[in-house]
This record gives sequence, C-alpha cells and structure tokens, in this order.
Amino acid sequence: MPIIDQGYQHWSGELSGQAWRWLAITRRGVKTALQGRWIRLAILVAWLPALVLAFVLCMWGLVERQSDLVETFKPFLTGLLGRPVVAGPREYRVEIWTLCFHYFLTWELGFIMILVLMAGPNLVSQDLRCNALPLYFSRPLRRIDYFAGKLGVIATLIGLIVIGPILVAYSLGLLFSLDITIVRDTLPILFGSITYGVIVAISAGLLMLAMSSLTRNSRYVALLWLGVWLITGTVSVVLIQVDQAQRSRAVGARYHRWDNEQFLSAELDAAKHDWRPLVSYTANLRRMEESLIHTNAAWQKLIELTPVGQRGRLMFNLVDTQYPWYWSAGVLIGLAVLSACVLNLTVKSLDRIK
Amino acid sequence: MTPIVTFQDVSKWYGNVIGINKLTVDIGPGVTGLLGPNGAGKSTLLQLATGQLYPSQGAVRVLGQHVWNHADLNRRIGLCPEQDAFYEWMTGWDFVFTCARLTGLSRRAARSAAERTISSVGMEPHQNRAIGGYSKGMRQRIKMAQALVHDPEVLFLDEPLTGTDPLARRELMDIITRIGNEGKSVLVSSHVLYEVQALTSNIVLLNRGRLVAHGNVRQIRDLIDKHPHHIKIECDGFRQLAARMVGWDDVEGVRVIAKDRALMVETHDPDAFYGRLPSLSLEDGLAIKSVYSDDDNLEAVFKYLVEL
Amino acid sequence: MPTLFQFTNVSKTYGAVRALDDLTLAVPERAIGLLGPNGSGKTTMIRTLLGLIPVDCGTGEVLGLDFSRRQLEIRRKVGFAPEDECLFPHVQGVEFVAYAGELVGMSPIDALQRSHEVLDYVGLGEARYRKVESYSTGMKQRLKLASAIVHDPKLLVLDEPTNGMDPAGREEVLELAHDLAHNKGINLIFSSHILPDVEAVCDYVIVLGRGKLLAQGEISALKQIHEQAFDVRVKSNTGAFIERLSAQGCSAEPNGDLLRVRIPASASPQILWEAAAAAGDQIRHLRPQRSTLEEVFLNAVEKP
Repeated sequence: MPIIDQGYQHWSGELSGQAWRWLAITRRGVKTALQGRWIRLAILVAWLPALVLAFVLCMWGLVERQSDLVETFKPFLTGLLGRPVVAGPREYRVEIWTLCFHYFLTWELGFIMILVLMAGPNLVSQDLRCNALPLYFSRPLRRIDYFAGKLGVIATLIGLIVIGPILVAYSLGLLFSLDITIVRDTLPILFGSITYGVIVAISAGLLMLAMSSLTRNSRYVALLWLGVWLITGTVSVVLIQVDQAQRSRAVGARYHRWDNEQFLSAELDAAKHDWRPLVSYTANLRRMEESLIHTNAAWQKLIELTPVGQRGRLMFNLVDTQYPWYWSAGVLIGLAVLSACVLNLTVKSLDRIK
Repeated sequence: MTPIVTFQDVSKWYGNVIGINKLTVDIGPGVTGLLGPNGAGKSTLLQLATGQLYPSQGAVRVLGQHVWNHADLNRRIGLCPEQDAFYEWMTGWDFVFTCARLTGLSRRAARSAAERTISSVGMEPHQNRAIGGYSKGMRQRIKMAQALVHDPEVLFLDEPLTGTDPLARRELMDIITRIGNEGKSVLVSSHVLYEVQALTSNIVLLNRGRLVAHGNVRQIRDLIDKHPHHIKIECDGFRQLAARMVGWDDVEGVRVIAKDRALMVETHDPDAFYGRLPSLSLEDGLAIKSVYSDDDNLEAVFKYLVEL
Repeated sequence: MPTLFQFTNVSKTYGAVRALDDLTLAVPERAIGLLGPNGSGKTTMIRTLLGLIPVDCGTGEVLGLDFSRRQLEIRRKVGFAPEDECLFPHVQGVEFVAYAGELVGMSPIDALQRSHEVLDYVGLGEARYRKVESYSTGMKQRLKLASAIVHDPKLLVLDEPTNGMDPAGREEVLELAHDLAHNKGINLIFSSHILPDVEAVCDYVIVLGRGKLLAQGEISALKQIHEQAFDVRVKSNTGAFIERLSAQGCSAEPNGDLLRVRIPASASPQILWEAAAAAGDQIRHLRPQRSTLEEVFLNAVEKP
C-alpha cells in the first residue's frame, strides 16, 4: 500500500532472559558515571601507579636478564635491595614481584576510595530523590537484579583501575623478562591481586550502595563515605599509638626506637593479637591483600638477607599485618551482611512506596 | 457591583521575563474563575493580589486598599496556595489552630474557629493525626481549612481541587459556592475547566501575561465571531430538516451525523437560529428531540481564545 | 469476551487498614476506568495486578497469568505509568525511553529503534534530544506514557495521568489514551478522579470503595436515561415558560443553570416546543436527562 500508517505499530521482538537484566542497569550506570569530567580525570590519574608498576616490572625483567640497559642503575639497586638480590635476581623474583604489586595495590586503594566517593553516592540516592524506583520495579525486575546492576557499576569502575592495570602490567613484565617460567612463579600473585580486586569491589560496592540507599541527599552519603574511610583510619591509628605508648612506657624509653630490633620484635609479638587495626576499614582491606599475595613472606625473605643490625627498616613494614587474616575477613563479611540488610530494608518494592 | 479586587494597569517583570502585562481588571463578589494555560500569569496574579509581590507598574487594591506591606489586610484575605508544603509533624488540628492564632484571633476564638472549619471540610476524624500521614485529598482539605479559619472576606484559591476524589470535591465545591453566595469574593484558579464551570460562569482568562477575556462565559462565547456556534440537533426527519436549514441566511454549514439521526449545524447568529426552532419543530415530521451546543461552554471558549 | 483480569476473594491488610476486602471481580478486555474515593484500595489493586505486593489470601489472574506466581511475566506484558513524577535523571528523552525498554529485556538496539517510534507516536519531536528535566508537565506525562508502551504491552495501566495538567496537555494525553485503547488494540486501565476524563477514554468502569467492589459495568448502561425527564435551558423569561409548562401538567425545577422538566407519561418533547413557541421564547438546550458518571459514582459510593 502506498501510504504507510505513521501511528503506533506493534512490536514483536525477543526479550532477553531474566539473568541479563542487571546488565542494562550497569551499562547505564557506567555510561552516566563516565560522563562526569572529574571521574574521567580520576580514572586517568589512577592509572599512573599502574604505569609505575609496569615500568618497575619491566626494569626488573631487564635486571633478570642482566641486560646492559640497567648497568647504570645497578649501584642504586644494590644500595636499595642488597648485593645478593642484585647478584642473583632470579631467586628473588617472587619476592620482588610480590612487593611491587603490594605497593601498587596500596596506592590504588586510595584511588579506589576516591573513585567510589565520586561515582558511588548517586547510585541509589538519585533514584530515591527523583522517585525513579516505581519505574524500575514496575518492570520485570527483581530487587536482586537492581542491586546486582548497581553493584556492577562500582565493580566495573574498580575493575577499570585495578584489574585492568594489573593484567597490563603483568603482561608487560612478562614480555620484558622473556622468560616463561615467570608465569609459573608469579601466577599466584596475579590471581591473588585479581581476587583482592574482586573483594574490594564487592565490599566497597555493597557498603557504598547501602549508604546511598539511606538518604536522598548524595552529599550526606559522600560525607559518610569519607567518614568511613578517613575517620576510621584515623581512629585506628590513634588507638594503636596510644597502645604503643603504653607498652613502651612499661618497658622503658631506651627501646623506643624504630630501628631497634629488639623493640621491633616485641612490637611484632604484640601486634599478633592486636584488635585495634580492625577499626579501620582500609586496614582490613590491606590485611586481606597481605593474605592473598603473601607480602609478609616476601618481606621476611628480604629481612633475612640484611645484616642483623640493619633489619629494623624492613621489619617496620611487617607491623601492620601481624594479626590473623580471618579477623579482617570476619569484619568485612560482617560489614557486607550489614549492608545487604540495610539495602533490603530501604529499597522495598512498591509495597510501601506511596 | 463594587469591585473587591482591582488591578489597574499592573505589570510585573522578572528580569526580562514578563509575568503580567498591563492588566486592568475588577473582580467583584461571588465566585470568579481564573483560567489560562501554563505560564499565563495566574500564579503571578494571585501573588500580586495577596501582597507577596510588588507590581513593577500599576496598582493592586484589595477591599479598596493597597495590598503591599499591609499586614492588617491579611486578616481579611484567605489564601489556599498551590504548593504542598506543611510542617509534616504537626497534626491537622495544630496546624489550623496555629494559622488561626497567626491571624490574630484569641486563643478561645481560634479554638472554636479551628473546630468549626475542620468539621466543615470534613476532616474531623483525622484532625489528630500528623499531616505527614495524610493522603493528597486530606492535605488539600486542611489547606482549605486554614484559608477559611479566620472567616476572610476575600478568598484566593490556587488549584484547590487537585488530588481530591469526587466525594471530597463535591464537599469543597459546596463550601466554595456557599461562600460565594454569602457575597464574599472568591477567586478560583484551576486547570480543570469542568470544575470551574460548575462553580461559576464568571471568568477571567489570561494568556501570556495579558488579559484575554473577562465576564460571563456565554456572553464571551457570543462575541467570538471567528468561530461559528456548533449546534447538534436530533430529529427523526433529519435530512428534511437539513434541507430546510440550508436555506437560512445565518447557517454556514450543516453536517449530517447519520448514526445518531442528527445534524451538526454551524451558525454565526445563534440568536436568530434558535428563534426559528420552536415553530419549526411543530411542523410535520420535524419534531426535534434534542438540541444542544457543546460549543457553548468554557472548554470551547478556552480553546478558541487561547490558540497557541 | 475474554477476561482482562479477575480476582477471587482477594484480601490485603496493611496493619489496621483493610485495603482489599474479600474482593471478587472479573473484568472484560476493554478500556476500563477505575474509580473510587481515596483509600478505597485502587492503588493496592493496581499493585496487586502488577504482582508487586503479595496478598494475604485469594487468587487472581491478569491476562491469564496468576499474579502470585508469574509476576515477572505479567510485568513483561503490562505497561505502567505511575502517578507521581518519576524520572531517570540527567538523560535525554530518547535515552529515557530506550532505558525503560532495556529494563524489560529489549536489546539496546531494539530499544533505541522502538523508542524513536514510540516518541513519534506520542508527539515529542525534537524535544526528545533534550534532557528530561527541561520538559513541561505535559511533555513529561507523554514521556511517561511512551516509556510505558515501548515494549508493546498488552495492558496499559495509567494512574492519574492528567493530574495537574493544563487543558491543552490534558487533551493530548486523553487523545493518546483513547487511540491506544480503541484503535490500537491495547487494553487499558485508567485510574482517575477526574470523571469527564474517564468518560472520554473508557467505556467500562469499576467503582471500588473501602476495599470492596461497589459497581461495575458499561458506562452507557450505568447512565440511565430517564424517559420523561429533560434538561432544558431557555433564553429568557424562565418564569413564563415554567408557568406554561405547569399548565400542561409538567413539573420543572432548577438544576444548576438548567431546568429539569418532567413531562406527563404520554407526552412527547413537542410539548416543550409548544410552550416555547407560545411564550415567544427560545429553547437553547434540550436533552433527555441522563445521569452523569459523577452521579453514578456518588450513588455507588454513598449507598449504605
């Protein structure tokens, strides 16, 4: 027929299965987040530690191959790591890689917190503010799909700045070493880091979603997040300092020096049963990181290389992570369960919404 | 008719944006409808009339006095605004009582006034519940109560019936009509034309900040030359009737609606047309069963005058 | 006629309030108007239809699907435009509608193509590329309607769609609703307090009150015609006209600005024309008395 009806047409297409519903929410959320100029900037800046990590791994690869390119750096490395390491790099490969990833992940944790601060608060509170929940739940969407979708937004953003860089840096380090046995040695580090990224994504994601669902005002959520991140950290440090001060007063001022190994050993012993780091959210995450990529073992091996009087500097790095890892796991799981309960209460389907 | 609210050459700008443009209108006792599309200036007019805004040009008088900065006058003016903002923790009774006290009534007078007004809007069973728990219709009724509690002489109602169910609507409309009949002046601004039509046939029509029409709806309709009146006539011998009508001078068009056995006639002189009908109907076979104009009402006037 | 939805002994209680009280009804596939005073259970009923809330007891079906078991399937076939203003903020109009489609399960490409089609239909032209915050009330309402029909539902539920809109906007929405219900084969449930709107769009109504069904039926059937009663308006001189009528055995009483006239059983409306001709008056309005939907509603609700 020559004239085609411009009015309403019926549509008979296919609808995707229920399992993919969260993907639409994640897609939209990531797109909205990436529209923000500051978030794009933050992601860009967050890749700098990744570049440094890649650079360092490549350097190490060259050191392993005793390449000429790094001859000029050898004295510097010897001073930093000790002669045995530079002389026989292959034996210390695992430790060096572990510590490089450790430093990267520690830096990146700060960026993760910032990124979640920027992208997170709006996720649920904006929907509450603009009363968009009836639009969501009048469609074939269960609450679990909604939460999974929103969680996916945070997970994607965190993945962009943690998992992506890890994979890229690992590949580059591999290429620069030209040695396939690296994979056998360092694969646990890779998996450990990626698992750590996933844990952070889930923990921080659930926590941020729960906070975001508590109020319509995103600014309060941002403040709350800052509180959890910075204030718990500060409180924890203060508690630890007070505890240390008490201990050293009991023992005597003589030992209170950070390069005194006796003092440090005593501190390490005390730290094995110290609950105070559990107060800080980021300390818990760091503890999980340690247990996944075994940084303490790496430090230990390096410590054994240094002569006895000079170990203090390295032992200092062990103090934070002495207590059992399952305490931190417990705290994180507890927070996750709490977040899930809060989400369950605050975002109900239209049963109670006017 | 002594005008109760007068606007004399009133204009109001917000920066460069015009709110009201040289408005001159007198509003007398009884119920008057204030109509206009979105952005016509209805809220501006109400705010000027209640002294919330100062006119950029011209003078606004209520009950003979300038409204601006005249707190005393507020005792005789009642306003039911469109916005839905209450102190949510207050009970309905508290709210109306406080508003009564704010208008200067003594404690005892305020108490009895609040009781009286709350029961007149039908909120007595709910008066001790917090406003936060009210439905939209209940909130609207409490708003009305606070506008009436001090027995004002002039009442300004901005969309008073939104969200109310037909039962509440009927009660509130009865209240408004009763107040109008008592000789007080009520200005009702609303989008729902059939409600305004049920309340009054006196309207003020605004568009783009200017006055378009003012007065009785039917008179205004008669004056709209551009649009001939559409009159529907049902008659068994409709085609015969049509043949007769086409011969008349004032008839501009006849449309046959066969399924209703009716005609839709267009005429630019309704008076002459209606004058011929009684004798025509009594002729053989031309008994007219019904005649009405769905064109002669507020909706038609609105549509024709506010052609966007 | 196939049923659109049916309830059997459905009850739902919120704390002390009984929102739905042993409700049993079956509704055909039509354009249905849903009426009822505030607190009558309309909103609860809509939510039950969508499978959003569990009921305390009773069963029911929507489009043949059990609403306590197959809720997600129901929501795939139903489009809902809620009453309050709701947005996915900071998106363009076309993104809004496409997202709404994606949430039902459409692929992004299908959703975008379909959203353009639907936006054409509701009449949002270039405005679709602007952010939704900048829309007027009428445009937002049409956008909501578009997002409710993007997945081509079999049933469209509109909750107070014309609330607070100016006459031009209201007419647009009602026209769209009427077209969808009558010409495009989509079933409609139209819940509103504004009775002329319901009359303009629907041909079947259900009236709820206090959780129970008070009345249901075709509008034309519920509005009874009174054979010998007419609404009349004359041009002038009402008094003389009334006198003449009384002389003929008719009774007249004012009804708003019209006269309600009852003529004797054997007479025809000609009697009124005779009276007018004799009095030299014009009859400007003459219609058989029909109850308005408002009267139907008030009668149903105020029954003891």
